[in-house]
Amino acid sequence: MRRLTYCCAGALHKHERKGSWLKPFAYIAATNADDAVVLLAEHGRSAKILAGGTDLLADLKFASDVPGVVIDISRAEDLRGIAVTEDGLRIGALVTHSELMDSPLIRNMFPALVDAAHSVGAVQTRNIGTLGGNLVTCVPSMDSGPTLVALDARVTVASRSGRRRFPLAELFLGPRKTSLGADELLLDIVIPTQNLGKPAGFQKFGLRKGQALALVNAAASFWIDRSTDRFVEPRIALGAVAPTVIRAPEAEAYLVGHSVTPEAMVEAGRIASTEAKPISDFRASTGYRRDLIAVLVKRALAGALALAQARQAEAVA
Amino acid sequence: MIDVTIIVNGETRRASVPPETTLLALLRDHFGLTGAKVGCDVGDCGACTVIVDDRPVNACLMLAGQADRRRVLTIEGVATKDKLHPLQKAFEERGALQCGFCGPGIILSAKALLDQNPEPSRHEIRDALAGNLCRCTGYAKLVDAVSDAARAIRSEQLHD
Amino acid sequence: MADEQRVLERERSAVDEAWRGLDENARLPAAAPPKTVPAEPLVPVPGQQIRAVGQRATRPDSRYHGLGQTRYIDDLALPGMLHAKIKRAGIASARIKRIDTSAAESMPGVMAVVIGREFPVNSFGPTFQDQPVLADEVVRHAGDGVAAVAAVTEQIATAALEKIVVDYEPLPAVFDPLDAMREDAPKVHPPKGNICHSLAIRRGDVAKGFAQSDHIFEGRFTSQMVEHVSIEPHAAIAAWDANGRLTVWATIGRITLARADLARTLRLPMNRIRLIGTIVGGNFGGKNEISQEPALALLSKKAGRPVKGVFTRGEEFIASTVRHPFIMDYKTGVTKDGRILARTARLVLDGGAYCSWSETTLGKCCVLAPGPYKIDNVRSEAIVVYTNKTVAGAMRGFGAPQVCFAYESHMDDIATALGIDPLAIRLRNAFEEGSPSPTGQVLQSVVVKETLLKAAERFGWEVRS
Repeated sequence: MRRLTYCCAGALHKHERKGSWLKPFAYIAATNADDAVVLLAEHGRSAKILAGGTDLLADLKFASDVPGVVIDISRAEDLRGIAVTEDGLRIGALVTHSELMDSPLIRNMFPALVDAAHSVGAVQTRNIGTLGGNLVTCVPSMDSGPTLVALDARVTVASRSGRRRFPLAELFLGPRKTSLGADELLLDIVIPTQNLGKPAGFQKFGLRKGQALALVNAAASFWIDRSTDRFVEPRIALGAVAPTVIRAPEAEAYLVGHSVTPEAMVEAGRIASTEAKPISDFRASTGYRRDLIAVLVKRALAGALALAQARQAEAVA
Repeated sequence: MIDVTIIVNGETRRASVPPETTLLALLRDHFGLTGAKVGCDVGDCGACTVIVDDRPVNACLMLAGQADRRRVLTIEGVATKDKLHPLQKAFEERGALQCGFCGPGIILSAKALLDQNPEPSRHEIRDALAGNLCRCTGYAKLVDAVSDAARAIRSEQLHD
Repeated sequence: MADEQRVLERERSAVDEAWRGLDENARLPAAAPPKTVPAEPLVPVPGQQIRAVGQRATRPDSRYHGLGQTRYIDDLALPGMLHAKIKRAGIASARIKRIDTSAAESMPGVMAVVIGREFPVNSFGPTFQDQPVLADEVVRHAGDGVAAVAAVTEQIATAALEKIVVDYEPLPAVFDPLDAMREDAPKVHPPKGNICHSLAIRRGDVAKGFAQSDHIFEGRFTSQMVEHVSIEPHAAIAAWDANGRLTVWATIGRITLARADLARTLRLPMNRIRLIGTIVGGNFGGKNEISQEPALALLSKKAGRPVKGVFTRGEEFIASTVRHPFIMDYKTGVTKDGRILARTARLVLDGGAYCSWSETTLGKCCVLAPGPYKIDNVRSEAIVVYTNKTVAGAMRGFGAPQVCFAYESHMDDIATALGIDPLAIRLRNAFEEGSPSPTGQVLQSVVVKETLLKAAERFGWEVRS
């Protein structure tokens, strides 16, 4: 039996509202991070943070309840900026995907982050959607998470009681569920100093090349021991194949100390595909997603290798 | 109600609107600028694309408050009284507008592209238009029209 | 007399000055005139191209599209206009036990609410009038409207929908068309069975043709539901005048049919109905019949104000028509060199909850099912089946794309099995000038082979890897 399948734009939503026309809420614009934290403490669970708004507004249009207050943090300048600090590379939570793509620092040091940012939605959503927003919305298929997890990124979170810092991977608890308290605000994402310049690759596969949800996301990073030509500190992170972004520890363990060869990368991909439990839905079957994991991990590793080789060639030249 | 001041097509305009008003509703219902359309209202189709501070955005996904004190360019501000913008001329000549509903959004996305990148490749054009859906044309003529316009703008600048 | 003359001159020039003083930016670049085509009458000669063909012409309305000046329905506003929203059932099959609109009616800003039983005749449809404007006793698919609200803003109208309370008694539902054809399947339109309509076309003797064939191939092909997704959603405005005449602005492509359905549902003489088919942001067949218009008209009558309704994108998917999903069983008998001697096609069309344009789709798909091939013995049978799903209606092709997928895939399968080049097998069987269609029509201006050969050359068919 032969099936003709196209991809229909959009999907039916279960809620009755079916999109359009927000219910009323109060609106406050915060001037900076501290101001936002104070407002959050005041309004707690009845408040939602508005950063770029691309996720929040779309969600609110389908929601049966709306928050009492929307706290607009989009003008908080201290939540912007990309710079190397004493802790590493700091990316402000309000940095947009377009800003990531345009930043000379990011383009130079982590082209994989440019690829990941470029894969988000389309130019309109990249221009206002923020990195922090993408991470905090916390959907399993988020495009920005895997590369940052593969680079051991840490996040800074603030509340009235002060600031705390922890690995990004610990932010994600489940679909649309983060470890942030109701009064906590994500301030920034920091890639630690020891990982600055670490070669990384990112691959996304969606049913379209733009404006598409990921069926599978894969990111990989590793150093190369030049004297032995072996993988050092390999990291593989997968998105859209589990409730949150996950690592592939068995594939990583396989690569540690292994010679850097195409065969190794293929095998790592194969192992990684057994470590995930992807769902079967109208977009793709479990089997198809597993096949994708194997290929995309291999390509992400190959991308990181190509970057490492290009840099080495430049260094020698 | 919140008060917003927005520079729309070069003109300062003020409005007092409920906080949940989107930029799209503000432009269409309060300022009478109906060029930006409601296609899906959730940022998937791009029919509501406008340019805010030189960047194309989905007006349906922006609150009026977020646009306060910003510069907004809508399709109504693209032509001058004497002249069509080269994009509008190219779209017309290529037959790239059929029902026309996606037109304003596409022209603005293309304008933002050409303002940054005067000589885009076809791939770059497609990437810039990836957030604008069209059900009539099949996109080929849209890409051709943007290429034509880019060429026209470059040759205009040479002659200036 | 000279004084009078001078006063007139001054008055005239004062008016000119006033006009000149107006903000010149209010003027826009002029609308483009259409390019001219030859003025002499063109008498078509069969087989020859007329000179208008191949000429470049620009659309005059394209100018205004590019300027953002085109006024689609949602860009129009009448003084005092209200906004309407429709409550959708959200359940595929149910009896409406009770519907309570009182909370919605008493909401500030809500000016009118209507439900199904308020329509003088609550049924319409292009072929069978089996579709209610708003479901009254029974809901047959999740997109069935059960109530409509008109309010001063869209926001209030949307909020009012949630205040309407409907008690449903869920009924058995059927979703698969093959299941729906069985005797024991839940009936979508009791007491009628689920077979809405059927059609068969026969030519020659397929039994004889199969008997003479060297090989017989069978295949099943399916196609899925497709939504038009015109970027402009369904939209309409209804307004009454003091003489009891209704004016409706609608995106509808069939004016007289719409007027007839409005006349029927509102029990109004057609000559009191003016329907203005406006510029549309994409139709593709999805805007070929009324949907919300009678509800808007009744809301407008009750509220005493014009009423505009615009579908949300979600409603476009569940409450507007879609392309029929098909299940297609093909059987073809061929000689060993790939000449088709007989073909049968059995098509099951998933019609959704109401008939809509299913009958027209049936006709087209039956005639087109065998494909553009010379086949002496043909039988195509098609059945439209009711299911409790989105209504299948008109969508570009009307049955043609589905069967094309089937007969072309089937042809490829046959070619592969026989070891014949897929292009060659088509050239061997394709229609020629004067070939009869399955219904016996003698076809003219047939260029199937020429097109295939030209395409093959352009695509580099010979050198493909």
